[in-house]
Amino acid sequence: MMKNFSTPYIYFYLIVLVTVIAIGLTAVSLGLKPRREFNQRVEKAQQILCAAGYGDVSKEMAVAKFDAVVQTIDNQSKACYQIHCADGTDGHVVEVHGNGLWGPIWGYIILEEDLNTIKGVVFAHKSETPGLGDKITEEAFTAQFIGKKLHNAQGEYTSVRVLPKGKNPSIAPENRVDAITGATLTSKGVDAMIMQSFK
Amino acid sequence: MKKYLGPLNKENPILVQTLGVCSALAVTAQLKPAVVMALSVTVVCAMANLIISLLRNTIPPRIRIIVQLLVVSTLVIMVDQVLQAVVYDISRLLSVFVGLIITNCIIMGRLEAFALSHKPLPSFVDGVMNGLGYGLVLVAIAFFREFLGSGTLWNYPIIPASFYEAGYLNNGLMILPPMALILAGVFVWIQNAKKDRVK
Repeated sequence: MMKNFSTPYIYFYLIVLVTVIAIGLTAVSLGLKPRREFNQRVEKAQQILCAAGYGDVSKEMAVAKFDAVVQTIDNQSKACYQIHCADGTDGHVVEVHGNGLWGPIWGYIILEEDLNTIKGVVFAHKSETPGLGDKITEEAFTAQFIGKKLHNAQGEYTSVRVLPKGKNPSIAPENRVDAITGATLTSKGVDAMIMQSFK
Repeated sequence: MKKYLGPLNKENPILVQTLGVCSALAVTAQLKPAVVMALSVTVVCAMANLIISLLRNTIPPRIRIIVQLLVVSTLVIMVDQVLQAVVYDISRLLSVFVGLIITNCIIMGRLEAFALSHKPLPSFVDGVMNGLGYGLVLVAIAFFREFLGSGTLWNYPIIPASFYEAGYLNNGLMILPPMALILAGVFVWIQNAKKDRVK
């Protein structure tokens, strides 16, 4: 039953197979690239609009709405966009990146004109634990950030620290938000992400 | 015909053969990702069976596992790319588990046990049936987890608002992975009880 195949045949077989596979995968990847990139743009637009107080914008509307209220800033400041928020004021969008427990986390923080007070935040993650770490995307968590000031009057970085209730009592209540119970490492990731971005 | 229907009931990959349990626990918090995952596994299983069956007389036995892995991983990457392009938000929910279809024992198991020794058409049908057998259990678990855990089905609210006003609460435990394991256990129990009656 078992046929004997010569060693050259085995090499030849694998080379042909791998070549065919490589060509096939490249074709699929390149063919679908525009749609993947479009989906990522829509998601980013939805997240920023949500942080700016527009609520959940549908996929179809997101990009058009985004283009209508957002301008790209091209100077050296940390903010990458200027946005006209739902409440009529202008805000600056800062993109932040960090690491959660299982993979990357990122977010968009909207600052008021003083580039210090937080108007709104939205966080996203690639693969945090459902029901625990993924709560960083929920409003119960993100709403805590609104109104916090990043630097004190002396210009030192003070906020926002994501800490469990009662930990490090030396840090004033106006500079802290409650970490998520059961998601210590994801919470620490958010804490470090904001600190790295603004310190 | 009877032997092809086995995976749906008496030879169910999850309930009887205990294969592919990991992903069954991970993606069943809601109905939508469970259905997409079930379809993805069915497509990969059927296509891999078909391709390996077509190649079966040319594959040198010494490298057959390598060839199987190449074919399966190619298919999985293609499925992942298509999901990212077509149903982006669900592909985000499934995160790593689409990639992990490669290591799903159902697929390699069917290639070894069936496709290497059968003609293309029966192999294809066998792959479809095993994928469906897997999917059936996924959908059943997801049905109970979403209904009891979130009060919705396919993201549509099922439990009326008046229930919540009267003090009804969703069972948050249902969302967490341990309940998936317990539900899967209950299904295995039912399956075994049925088997005993037949004897």
